[in-house]
Amino acid sequence: MISVERLRKRYGRQLALDDVSFAVPKGEIFGFVGPNGAGKTTTIRILATLAPTDSGLATIGGIPVGDDPSAVRELVGYMPDFFGVYDRLTAVEYLEFYAACHGVARSRRRRVALELLELVDLGDRRDAQVDTLSRGMKQRLCLARALVHDPRVLLLDEPASGLDPRARVEMRELVRELRRMGKTILVSSHILPELEELCTWVGFIDRGRMVAVGPMEQVRDRVVVGRRLRIELVQPEESVMRNAEQVLSERQGVLAVDLLGDHLEITVGEGFEEAELLAHLVREGVPVRSFAPVAGDLSEAFMRLTGPGEERPPR
Amino acid sequence: MSRFLAVLSGFDNPLIVKDGISRMRSWRAPLAITLYLGLLGAFGYAIFTIAVLSTQFTRTASSAQIGGSVFVSLAFFQLALISLFAPALAAGAISGERERQTFDVLLVSRVSAFGIVWGKLVASLAYLVLLILTALPLFAAVFLFGGIDFEQFVLAHVLTIMTALSIGAVSLFWSALFRRSLPATVTSYATTFFLVVGTFVAGLLLTYIYAFRDGVAAASNFEFHPLAYGNPLFAMYVVLASPSGAPVHLGRLLQLLFMSGGDPSRWGPELEPWKLCVAFEMILTALAIFGSVLLVRGRRAMPLRRVRPAMPEPAA
Repeated sequence: MISVERLRKRYGRQLALDDVSFAVPKGEIFGFVGPNGAGKTTTIRILATLAPTDSGLATIGGIPVGDDPSAVRELVGYMPDFFGVYDRLTAVEYLEFYAACHGVARSRRRRVALELLELVDLGDRRDAQVDTLSRGMKQRLCLARALVHDPRVLLLDEPASGLDPRARVEMRELVRELRRMGKTILVSSHILPELEELCTWVGFIDRGRMVAVGPMEQVRDRVVVGRRLRIELVQPEESVMRNAEQVLSERQGVLAVDLLGDHLEITVGEGFEEAELLAHLVREGVPVRSFAPVAGDLSEAFMRLTGPGEERPPR
Repeated sequence: MSRFLAVLSGFDNPLIVKDGISRMRSWRAPLAITLYLGLLGAFGYAIFTIAVLSTQFTRTASSAQIGGSVFVSLAFFQLALISLFAPALAAGAISGERERQTFDVLLVSRVSAFGIVWGKLVASLAYLVLLILTALPLFAAVFLFGGIDFEQFVLAHVLTIMTALSIGAVSLFWSALFRRSLPATVTSYATTFFLVVGTFVAGLLLTYIYAFRDGVAAASNFEFHPLAYGNPLFAMYVVLASPSGAPVHLGRLLQLLFMSGGDPSRWGPELEPWKLCVAFEMILTALAIFGSVLLVRGRRAMPLRRVRPAMPEPAA
């Protein structure tokens, strides 16, 4: 649905994008990950028809962005990394305005606005002035704004930045709901654990170059050497912990065992069967209370693949 | 009928509606109207009082003279006020969208660059027209005294509205050019000063310089420099002194503009100063709109090649 091939973009002497290529299949959520100034926003702005490319080809729904920007705008809903709102407009008027801008028929605008407000859980704030809404509400309203023309593709640039944990969870659920509605979503974010839970595809970009791209599981398996598992015991007493450590150390495929206070963390190799290990622990009488992968694998991959961020000049 | 509908559709622009709602909900809107009418009313009353008091010293003063002097003063004062209000309303129209960080989202919508510029211009101008309309009763009251005819009344308002339009369009151009509203506003006021005061002063100076050069300064039939004809103050003066006063051939204007000698040309239509002023302002407005559209369009990625029909790819 989204295809980017050998995209290059230069701002003065600064090479913002250097042969960036990736593709997002229809109906997937693509996490676009990279440090500040890596080229995420530039790529998204090119896809949103807001910036020209120097070379390369970007297509959305098979339409080259540079050939027919108007047709691409019909397909794309864009949510920038900042959210500007108009003073003295109510939430429903705000959405009606953008519906009009996107050519939604006058007779349908109110209904579309109200449905979208319900979708983003702002139905009860329809008559509230936009500038009185909280940041999280404004973010959800801006997401609703990107949906007024029912686009097939959503480009979300840092949609959860600056949100409190509750608002982030709400935004994440909303993005999932949009995927269930058949949207193809490209989302950039720095909040990696959330992307890991949310995205089905991921692409890492660093200093304008793609360093890894593909389905989330494949990328994780490719870039993470071993997986970390966290094991908590019912009785975290020292003797029980030592016994568990010994059982784990003797198990083939377990690369390292760390005793970390009241729980253990182990590193396992590629293709390790976690269910078998859990069954083995139970058979050996280790009182397991929880057994789960350690969140942050994507963060580890991110840190490994990307260097320190370089600030790009303002654009 | 279809032409009328086409004209109306130009006003069916979401930006006009949005800016209208947003502006009229602000406390500034009624305050500005109150201030405007208050200033105009106070000025008109002061002129009226002076005119009445002056009748004590002139036996020939009549009701018509009082009415005429009040109307002339009000017309010039309104023109000055509108010239002050227009840049304030239009200079932040597009740069304000950038500052508010809403411009990019507008650019990815279906509204064309012309639609954005037109919507912003009409939204700004609509408020100025509202100001002018609210002041109509003040002007109409002058009819009670006489001394002014309906044609002068209409032409004075046509000139005022056209001046508002041209200043608004030029201010919008600066708003499209500058990223911030402050430099756009400062430049807009400088341009307005040049258009309203600068061309007047320069036009009169050049008129006198040419008159001295040609040795006709003492004569009563010296001709004004074309720069003066583009000035709304000059056009307003001629309209209020005589609605069809001092018509000039287009060919003669070009002669004066390029300082070519010879007998006065009679080429082209004979135009009154107010028509020349309106024509100049329309050209200025068209150029400013054209420039603004180019600037707004430049913020979007343009098609690289000829647009070809493209169908969305089938589901993957």
